[in-house]
Amino acid sequence: MNTIILAIILMAGTGLVLGVVIGIFAKLFRVESDPRVDLVTELLPGANCGGCGTAGCSDFAKAVVSGQLPPSKCPVSSSEQVSAIARALGIEAGESFKQKAVVLCGGDREQTMRLASYNGVADCVSASLVAGGPKGCSYGCLGMGSCARKCPFGAIEMINGLAVIHRELCVGCGTCVAVCPRNVIKLVPADAEVHVYCNSPLKAPAKRQVCKVACIGCRKCQKAAPDKFIIEGFKATVNYANTPLPTQEDVQAAGCPTGALLSAEEHLRIEKHDPEWSAEK
Amino acid sequence: MKYLELTIGAILVYNFVLSRFLGICPFLGVSKRLGTALGMSGAVIFVMTIASFITSLVYRHLLHFTIGGKEYDLSFLQVLLFILIIAGLVQLIEIMLQKLSPKLYQALGIYLPLITTNCAVLGAATINADSNFTVLEATIFGFCSGVGFALALVLFSSLRERLDLAEVPKPFQGTPIALITAGILAMAFVGFSGLC
Amino acid sequence: MSKSSRNVMGFDGGIHPSTDGKSLSSGSAVRQAPLLDRYTVVISESVGKPPKPVVKAGDEVKKYQLIAAADGFVSANLHSPTSGKVVGIVDVPGAMGTPVPAIQIESDGKDEPCEPMPALEWRTAPVSDLLKRISDAGIVGMGGAAFPTHVKLSPPPEKEVDTLILNGAECEPYLTADHRLMLEQPGKVLEGAAIAARILGVKNIFLGVEINKLDAIEALNKHAAEFGVTVVGLKVQYPQGSEKQLIMAITGREVPTGGLPMDAHCVVQNVGTAAAVADAVIRGIPLVERITTVTGEVVKNPGNWMLKLGTPVIKAIEFAGGVTEEPGKLIMGGPMMGFAQRSFDVTICKNSSGVLLLPVSESVAYGSTSCIRCGRCVQGCPMNLLPCLLGNVIESERFDLAAQNHVMDCLECGSCAYVCPAHRPLVQHMRRAKAEIRKRKK
Repeated sequence: MNTIILAIILMAGTGLVLGVVIGIFAKLFRVESDPRVDLVTELLPGANCGGCGTAGCSDFAKAVVSGQLPPSKCPVSSSEQVSAIARALGIEAGESFKQKAVVLCGGDREQTMRLASYNGVADCVSASLVAGGPKGCSYGCLGMGSCARKCPFGAIEMINGLAVIHRELCVGCGTCVAVCPRNVIKLVPADAEVHVYCNSPLKAPAKRQVCKVACIGCRKCQKAAPDKFIIEGFKATVNYANTPLPTQEDVQAAGCPTGALLSAEEHLRIEKHDPEWSAEK
Repeated sequence: MKYLELTIGAILVYNFVLSRFLGICPFLGVSKRLGTALGMSGAVIFVMTIASFITSLVYRHLLHFTIGGKEYDLSFLQVLLFILIIAGLVQLIEIMLQKLSPKLYQALGIYLPLITTNCAVLGAATINADSNFTVLEATIFGFCSGVGFALALVLFSSLRERLDLAEVPKPFQGTPIALITAGILAMAFVGFSGLC
Repeated sequence: MSKSSRNVMGFDGGIHPSTDGKSLSSGSAVRQAPLLDRYTVVISESVGKPPKPVVKAGDEVKKYQLIAAADGFVSANLHSPTSGKVVGIVDVPGAMGTPVPAIQIESDGKDEPCEPMPALEWRTAPVSDLLKRISDAGIVGMGGAAFPTHVKLSPPPEKEVDTLILNGAECEPYLTADHRLMLEQPGKVLEGAAIAARILGVKNIFLGVEINKLDAIEALNKHAAEFGVTVVGLKVQYPQGSEKQLIMAITGREVPTGGLPMDAHCVVQNVGTAAAVADAVIRGIPLVERITTVTGEVVKNPGNWMLKLGTPVIKAIEFAGGVTEEPGKLIMGGPMMGFAQRSFDVTICKNSSGVLLLPVSESVAYGSTSCIRCGRCVQGCPMNLLPCLLGNVIESERFDLAAQNHVMDCLECGSCAYVCPAHRPLVQHMRRAKAEIRKRKK
C-alpha cells in the first residue's frame, strides 16, 4: 500500500517540479510571436511555390498578417481558401484574379522541323545556348521539359516534344514562365479557353518553312470577331484583356487555315492523338 | 582507464545509431544538410548529458530508498519517470532555442520536439540504470553517447550532401539510397568491435 | 623587366589538341576575295549596345561610309563594306543561333570608296584624337570577343596600366589568320601596337606568339625594336591565346577572380585589332574587312581570305573552291571555342576569325556517361577550377554550389570537355550555370 502512495507522490512531485521550472523558463525566454502567422500558414497550401513573390508560404503569411499583401495574392489557394484566411484575420480578401499558364506553341515533333541534330544536355536552357537550339523555329517550345521538371504541381506534360499544361492542375504560380528560355509560356486569365498556339513574330513565309501549325497572320479570326483577337506584327493573339473571351464558336467561325487557333481542350486532344477526335474531324 | 573504455565504447564500438540502431528517425530525418545535422547533434548531446545525469540521480536516490528501516523499490516506475524527465528537458531546450537561435529552431523544426521520443535518449538512461553506473559514469556515458550520435549524424549528412549530386537510379532516389548508405556506414562501424 | 631571356613561356593547365590542322591553310598567302553582289552586314557586331542604323532602304552608299552609328560609349560604328544601294534591314541567322538584324547592301560593282578620313601622324597627334579615330573607325576586338577597342584603350583612371600585350598566340587548331597577318604585314601589326601603347601611355609592349609560328616571330623581330615591342615566344598549348593565360605566361601576373586584365595592370589586344588600328589611324580606313581562315579537311582549297563584312559563309566556302564531300559540321571560329552553326546563311562579322568545315567523321555524336573522377579535367583547366565537381553540381541544378566553386571564372575554353574520357558535356553545363547565375543576379 505504501509503495502505491509513494509512487503517486514521486510522479506528482516530479511533474510539479518540472512544471514549475518550465514555467519559469518560459517566462524568462519569452518570444513575442504572432499566433496569426501560424494560423495563416496553416490555411495556405504549403507548396512553397513562390508564385506570390515571397520566399514561401510562411513568408507570405507574415506579409499577409502585417498587411503588406492581401490574401488573394496567393495564386494557388481557391477563392474559398482565400476568404477563409480573410475571415480569420478579419480583413478584406482583396481582388482575386486567377491566372493559368499556357504554352503558346503547337509545334510538336511532327509539326515543326528540326534544323540540326542536338547532342547535349537535355535541358531547354542548355539547348538554347547552343546556336539557339535544334528547333527550326527560334520562338517555339524547345520541348526538353525544363518547365515540366520545375512545376511544383506536376501540371506540365511533355507530349511528343512539346510542353502541354494541364489546366485542371495549373494554379498559375508562374514558375514555368520564369524557367522557359524561349518565353513561350504566358499567364492568361484562368477562364480563357481558346488560344493562338504560336509565339513566332516572324513573317508568314519564314514561319511556314519550318512549322505547319504556325499562325500566318491572315486576320481571319479578327475579321470573325474583331474585339476578341488582336494582331501583333505577323501573329494573332487572343485579346485577353477583353471580355467575353473567345469560345469554341469563335474558333469555328474563324476557320483558322493552319490550326494555330484552338481551344485548350482540342489542343490537348490533338497532341495526345486522341482517336475519338480524329474520327470527328 | 575505465573512463577511456567507457568513452570509446559509447562513441565508436557501441555507437547508438550504427551499432545499437537507436535514434534512427532523426538520423534519417535531419541529415539532409550538414548545418541542421550539426544543430541537431548539439541538441542531442545536450539533452543526453543532462538526461543521463538527472535520470541516474533519480534512479539511484529516488527509486531505491529506505524509510523507517523498510526498503522500497520503485524501479517499475523507471520508464515512466525517465520519459517525464526527458520530455521536460526537451521542452526547456525548445523554449531556450526559440529565443537564443531562432534560425536553428526553425531548421530543426519538428525534430526538436521529437527528441522527446528519440529512443536514443531513453536508451541511454535505461542503459545507465541497467549497467548500474555511478552518477559520474552515467553522465560521461550520456555525453559520449551524444557525441557518438553526433558523429554518425555528421558523417551521414556529409555523405548525403554528396549523394544529392550523384546520379542515382530513380527507384533508389531519396530515402532508399540513404538507407543503403546508412547500412554501409554501419558495417564500417562493425570494424571497431573488439576495441573494448 | 626584360622577360625575353626566358625563351618559352606558358601557364599551368591547358591541353594539346591532337589535331592541329594549321598546315591546311598556313602555307597560303592571304587572298583578296572577289566582289559579291550582295552583302548582309550584321548591325550588332560588338559587345555592348547595338549601333543605330543611319541609312534606309534605297539609299546609295559608298565604301567606308558610315551605315550605323555607335549608340553610347560601349558601342561601335559600322561602315559599308562596298559601294551600292541599301536594300533594307533584314533578319539573318546570327552566329549565336538567334536571328539578328542586318543591313543588306546591293553592290554596284564599282567598290568606290568615299572621301577617306584624314591620315593622322600617330607619333605626334593628341591621344584624344587617336582614340576618337579608333572609335570612329568602329574597331572591335577581332580575336573573338568583339569588345569595342576604344573602350579597352581608355581604362578608368584608377586602374593603373603598365603593360600592353599583343595577342598573336592563335592557339585554336586550324586557324591561321593571325599567323598570315603577322607574317605578311608585320609592320602594320607593330605600328598598331605602338599606337595603342601611346594611347595607354605604357612602355612595356609584348607580342606573344606560340612557337609553332617561328617564321612569324622572325618577320616581327626584324622591325620589333623600331617600335619598342618585345616579341615573346610562347609554349604551344591551348588556350594560350586567352587573355588571362597570356598575361600569366608573359608577365607572371594573375588576374584576380572576376577581374579584368587591367586589374593585373595589363591591356591585351589581338594582332588583327592592332593592324586595324594602324589602318584607321595611319591610312584613315575604317574596319570593313578582315582576314578569315576558311578551312577544314573537306574544303577544296583551304586558305586565308580578306573578306568584307557581311559576306555569307556559303560564299566564303565557294571562294575556297567548295567542298570535296558532304561536311558534317560548320563552325564559326576555331574547333575549340567556335560556335556550331545550323545555317550556311551566317555572315562574316568583325570577329569571325575562321570558317571551319568538319567532315562527317569528325562530328561524332558522343553519348556521355557518369563522371569517373579521373581528374583529367582538373589538370586541363587553365583557370584551376574543378570541372568534374562543377559538372555534377550543375547537373543536379545546385547553382549556388556552382557559384561557390567559381563557375563564373570559367573561360568556356573547352579543355575539360576535350579531355573527358566520359565525354561529359562540361562546357555546356558551365554555360548553363553561368546563364542561370546571371539571370538570378538581375
